[in-house]
Amino acid sequence: MGKAFKTGNLILLCLLLTFILAAIGTVLVRGLPDLPATFKAPPTLFAARLSLVTSLASTALCLVVAAPVAYALARYRLPGKGLLASALRIPLTLPPIVSGVCLLLLFGTTGFGEALTRLGLRFVFSVPGIIIAQFFVNVPSLLTVLKAAIEAVDVRLEYVARTLGCSPAKAFTGVTLPLVKNGLVAGIILTWSKAMGEFGAVLMLAGATRFKTETLPISLYLNMSTGDLEAVMAVATLLILLSLTSLTIFERLGARLGQPATGEANKA
Amino acid sequence: MVRQAALRLQGINKRLGNFHLKDLSLEIGPGEYFVLLGPTGAGKTLLLEIIAGIHPVDTGEIWLGGVNLTHLPPEKRRCGFVYQDYALFPHLTVRKNIAFGLKVNRVPAPEAEKRVEEMAALLGITHLLSRFPRTLSGGEQQRVALARALVIKPQVLLLDEPLAALDPRTKEALQRELQRLHRATGTLTVHVTHDFEEAFFLADRLGIIDHGELLQVGSPQEIFSRPSSARVAAFLGTENIYRSEVTYTDGKAFVRLGQALLEVETSLRGPVGISIRPEAIILSSRPQTRNCLAARVLTIHRRGLFLKVAVEAAGEKLTVLVPPREAESFAQAGDGRVYCCIPPAAINTFPS
Ligand SMILES: Nc1ncnc2c1ncn2[C@@H]1O[C@H](COP(=O)(O)OP(=O)(O)O)[C@@H](O)[C@H]1O
Ligand SMILES: [Mg+2]
Repeated sequence: MGKAFKTGNLILLCLLLTFILAAIGTVLVRGLPDLPATFKAPPTLFAARLSLVTSLASTALCLVVAAPVAYALARYRLPGKGLLASALRIPLTLPPIVSGVCLLLLFGTTGFGEALTRLGLRFVFSVPGIIIAQFFVNVPSLLTVLKAAIEAVDVRLEYVARTLGCSPAKAFTGVTLPLVKNGLVAGIILTWSKAMGEFGAVLMLAGATRFKTETLPISLYLNMSTGDLEAVMAVATLLILLSLTSLTIFERLGARLGQPATGEANKA
Repeated sequence: MVRQAALRLQGINKRLGNFHLKDLSLEIGPGEYFVLLGPTGAGKTLLLEIIAGIHPVDTGEIWLGGVNLTHLPPEKRRCGFVYQDYALFPHLTVRKNIAFGLKVNRVPAPEAEKRVEEMAALLGITHLLSRFPRTLSGGEQQRVALARALVIKPQVLLLDEPLAALDPRTKEALQRELQRLHRATGTLTVHVTHDFEEAFFLADRLGIIDHGELLQVGSPQEIFSRPSSARVAAFLGTENIYRSEVTYTDGKAFVRLGQALLEVETSLRGPVGISIRPEAIILSSRPQTRNCLAARVLTIHRRGLFLKVAVEAAGEKLTVLVPPREAESFAQAGDGRVYCCIPPAAINTFPS
């Protein structure tokens, strides 16, 4: 009886694994050989560059915003903190394409959007729009990772640092920051790889214009619609490899998220 | 070195969730070793953190000598803090842990190095300097935490149950160590604990805190033998606490215990509470002259090296602690009849 239960579970595990590996493998097998050649094609090259630039920019923006907010959520006694944290997590639960619609309406049709346009900040159908879309979709997950990492560091370490002469900012950079290093790196890699792959929100806000707002996922989409299957395979392969790499790094660091990092190896 | 300042807390109030630190006033003399004794949840850690400036007070003031600390941030207060589980920086070596405060305060490297070495020598942890905290035993971590707090030459040393996590032998050694360090540095120290022995061993003066209220302050001897309320007496393990009243006959003071009148040394009048330490009561098979009641033994249990004897006398229940050998003498009688003598000086009276 118990044995059948175990066998059944393990069989399903194997089936699921086979399914996933088969799907990914099919693309990799067909895409990998063409990768070098396609990569020299101007559209793919442009898309790769644009994806790299926008994803790095949006990751930096996410970090600059999420780190202080995560600290506030982890450390300060705020009224309705649970609700606040949930509200900040909304974009994580929305389908990215809906997030894109929201951003399009905010920047395209409201006085706020028009005011920004007059200041020369155009987000609709533009490269900055790509960055904003990636930021909006990705900032909640970075926030969640950083908040958990900061919460795992005993607040009394900061208290002790304060009594030893640190300002609040110094206590953070001197004690908490080194201890959340793993979580920070893991969060940055997660955010960056998600930004590289972001499609729905970018499509809605920045559109899909060749050589203008053509990121790697958008490029894949355009190639698909023109029937250029070789380019589709190549771009998909590239995105898969990126994801697998960042997943590996994230899991390695993420596995230690709960524990404080110890910095260098112990010499004793 | 300015170490001559007294620490004064005036009417401190602080609410945190459901907890209320009530109207706490306390003055601790320069260089004094003050121990705050109270059960878990009494507000001891909170009070230390308030002194250190981690939490602002709702009302009240904190003074160190002539300086008003009330609105200074922790980094300007110069309070050394040692937590129960030490709170060492796990990413730094012992050396860097100790040097942390010196580095933050921009003490020049050669001097910092020298002070770290001296402090490590004083605490006997020189051989641990290149280790990381998680490789140290509890007692070693404790010494590192003390060194880290003391190396900045704090005006006030705050110790939050510093011995609670240690095994009995290490605890005893560190208790003596704390005494030695205090004598060597003369730093005004506030040490909180829930452990009587620790408190009585170390304290110049002692405060009893419970439910956010400072109940009594005095010398250990005074508090032990003269608790000022039923709550303090109960917290100190005095089982014999009664409501009573003082009456005077021929210029002598008496208190009522059940149906009996006992001679007592007191200046109070009228309704009072009385407490009698269980080890101060004498049981014997023969009657004595003063304050002696005929009693009946109810139960006998072991408690550590002593026997805890419950007796009934004058219609009241009393708990008595006696050494086993003494118990033999009255146990021989067999019928459970004994005499229970309470020296007048052993009866503590407090306003009820
Ligand atoms: N951040 C906080 N928020 C709400 N209540 C708290 C907080 N910190 C402590 N308390 C409460 O304050 C009371 C005193 O705590 P504490 O000072 O840690 O007691 P002790 O150190 O004497 O055991 C406890 O009832 C605790 O629940
Ligand atoms: Mg405590």
